[in-house]
Amino acid sequence: MRWSKAVLVFKKDVGEVARNWEVMAPMIILPVILTVLIPVIVTLVPDSVNGPNNANLVDSMLPNLPAAVKEMLSAFPEGLQMTYIMLVYFFAPFFLIIPLMVAGVIASDSFAGEKERKTIEALLAAPFTDGELLIGKILASFAPAMGATLISFTLYTVMVDALTVRRFGFLLLPNLTWVVMILFLAPAASLLGIGATVIISSRVKGFREAQQLSALLVVPVLALLIGQAVGFLIMGPVTLVVLTVLVLVVDAALFGVGVSLFNRERILSQGH
Amino acid sequence: MESIVAEGLTKRFNGFTAVDSLSFKVEQGEIFGLLGPNGAGKTTTIRMLASLIQPTEGDAYVGGFSVRDDALRVREIIGILTENPSLYERLSALENLEFFARAYGVDDSQTRDARIRELLEFFDLWDRRGDRAGTFSKGMKQKLALARALVHQPSTLYLDEPTSGLDPKSAKDIRDLMERLSQREGQTILLSTHRLEDAERLCDRVMIINRGGAVSVASPRELRQRATGAHVVKVGLRELAEPFSRAAEVAEGVKALDIRDGALHVTMADEGYTPGLVRSIVDAGGSVMYVVPLEVSLEEAYLKVIGGE
Repeated sequence: MRWSKAVLVFKKDVGEVARNWEVMAPMIILPVILTVLIPVIVTLVPDSVNGPNNANLVDSMLPNLPAAVKEMLSAFPEGLQMTYIMLVYFFAPFFLIIPLMVAGVIASDSFAGEKERKTIEALLAAPFTDGELLIGKILASFAPAMGATLISFTLYTVMVDALTVRRFGFLLLPNLTWVVMILFLAPAASLLGIGATVIISSRVKGFREAQQLSALLVVPVLALLIGQAVGFLIMGPVTLVVLTVLVLVVDAALFGVGVSLFNRERILSQGH
Repeated sequence: MESIVAEGLTKRFNGFTAVDSLSFKVEQGEIFGLLGPNGAGKTTTIRMLASLIQPTEGDAYVGGFSVRDDALRVREIIGILTENPSLYERLSALENLEFFARAYGVDDSQTRDARIRELLEFFDLWDRRGDRAGTFSKGMKQKLALARALVHQPSTLYLDEPTSGLDPKSAKDIRDLMERLSQREGQTILLSTHRLEDAERLCDRVMIINRGGAVSVASPRELRQRATGAHVVKVGLRELAEPFSRAAEVAEGVKALDIRDGALHVTMADEGYTPGLVRSIVDAGGSVMYVVPLEVSLEEAYLKVIGGE
């Protein structure tokens, strides 16, 4: 395994992705919605959080919050309690969609897209080992996905704090839950997106088909979102560590299958 | 010295035999043509020789390295032009070549830059070096793909339809380049083509394959002669008179004689009897104006070989 060769593939793939608007558009639009629009709407449009439906949300989520948080929130009116729950807990799972989706979209372009554009044969004929190609391509999906996640988290934190600090009197973010989510669960989720897309790409003919199938990976994240909304679970540091371990186990299984599928003969025979 | 040695190369896909026990040798500096109808097994053969796919049985050695056991070394010493140009269309011509030059181990930046410039200038692409490959015409893409195959100065080149999509001038430039690479730089070229005029002009030997097996391996001239079945010459005389045709008929080695189009068509056992034939006519008082060997074209020979297989 020569890292310089893997880095060469990584740089080539990133260079290609950066010029593909089909890939770049979702990488930009989703983080902008999450980091700018959501905090602005939640904090500046009171009706968006104070509707009758959202009162149910407080009723279902508040009892499950840690005791210290409940005590702290009791000092605030219901509208601010709602704002806190929305910004700190309810929208947290959305930030797992970024590493999943961005990694999935780039991996679709890198694996299935290269096959579709028929550029794969010259690449496979070059003196790279299968491992160098695979690592280079995984890095090309992982690094931008994590970059987008970290930038989004930073922007969201700045936006949320800037919009709420005067009303709460302290900074809402970052907190331990978010740090664990961004530094541990998000990378694991990103690898999940890549591992699944490597397998999907070996079965499909083109970028769009791979992208559409890999989009199904957001379903578990939506389950997490709903789980919180109905009071089934609350994302705390311990829950997130457990989830990270579970996702890493799934990652290992997916990559085991993905590595066995990633060989020259299989890739070339599928192109014809 | 042999550059490529194939020994019983066989490839099966789910029970279908794409290449069947192919054995041949290609000398260093030789241009070796791979001819055959679509689906004959040419691409599969090239892929095995490029260590892209593993043979089901047999082995091949490229520059002394086994395509089975030394795949990486084989890939390092070959340059390959695939059926599709396989270019990164969102990257510029320069970026495409830089990526592959680095991939093939051209690590010194001065050497790399000089080589890339040399190739882009040769292919008239230097002025478009910063443009995305996706904006190029089909012919320009083919040239860029060829430049990519040559960027690391490989000792062995596999070219799949290299003149496809090129205008006549560019096609000639490529043919000239192949001749130069073979004759002056000693590069071995495995040329897969449907253009029999290219094969006829360029190849030292050609292998006709059909249904995965080698039907014939010979020089283009030998193939034509085999297809003709005998050596036939057309003899033009200043005056076509009976004594001269009779003198030709009785000359040593002559098997048959026919008078057509105002000339003698003489079938001989082999071309070595031609001087005796001319002497016999001249001794009889005839004036020989020309002697032209009559052979079928490579295309006719190819069709005969494929049709008779």
